[in-house]
Amino acid sequence: MTNRIKLYEAFPEGLRAMGGVRTAVDDSGLETSLIELVDARASQINGCAFCLNMHVASALKHGENEMRLLVLPAWRETTWFTERERAALALTEAMTLIADGHVPDAVWEAAAEEFEERDLAALMLAISQINAWNRLQVATEAPPRLE
Amino acid sequence: MVRINFAEAFPEGQKAMYGFARAVHQSGLEDSLIQLVLTRASQINGCAWCLDMHTRDAMKAGEQPIRLHLLHAWREAPLYNERERAALALTESMTLIAESKRVPDDIYNAAAAQFSERELAALMLAIVEINTWNRLAITAEKSPVLA
Repeated sequence: MTNRIKLYEAFPEGLRAMGGVRTAVDDSGLETSLIELVDARASQINGCAFCLNMHVASALKHGENEMRLLVLPAWRETTWFTERERAALALTEAMTLIADGHVPDAVWEAAAEEFEERDLAALMLAISQINAWNRLQVATEAPPRLE
Repeated sequence: MVRINFAEAFPEGQKAMYGFARAVHQSGLEDSLIQLVLTRASQINGCAWCLDMHTRDAMKAGEQPIRLHLLHAWREAPLYNERERAALALTESMTLIAESKRVPDDIYNAAAAQFSERELAALMLAIVEINTWNRLAITAEKSPVLA
């Protein structure tokens, strides 16, 4: 049990505004299954239990294959993901670890090839947003809602 | 060479981000502190566009240039008060979340001691806000013009 703040109680307008960004991503037209993979992968890298639990559950509910989620950190070494998903996952990793090496040309070009501009921008925002939520939930020690 | 114009490619996303930024900047948290936080995160992530914008904004609002220059070494510089130091430590911890996958108790508690719950939540949102803008600008290779 943590005694760290609950964000929604402490600053509701701010969290509502964050929700507005999430809504823009969800309504962008980018496929839900892809957003869920992006959310899961970033949450794995950032170590956010709350987010990982939430997005794994959500992905499974939307029909995602459990093994794809379990082996997701090693997506490169599988044949289980489409070229579009692979491009999105590579971009996810590069943008998540942005301080390390930015986004190399090869990663960008692969993504630009798979996604037309609007989808590509929505994908960039989806990746940035899950990185935002990961940080908030880790910082406030939000417990995963386990069933 | 700009890779993508995010605002043009996904205007609803940009609008939602502006709404989020507005909520943060209207939270009551002092502007001088927000600017230090935005600058420090942008230094860590290496975002040229954001560094250019926020250092100029900070100086226009009266910030001393030396306090921006020495942000890289804030721990060793007697230029920042306890409130700012607590905020900067939290900024670094949350920005580099993938390294440790947590915000340690000492950093959290120091921030909680300096900021009310609402202010602390607003501070966390400011940190994730700039981490979002950094990712979008770096990925798009948005490059500033030397003024």
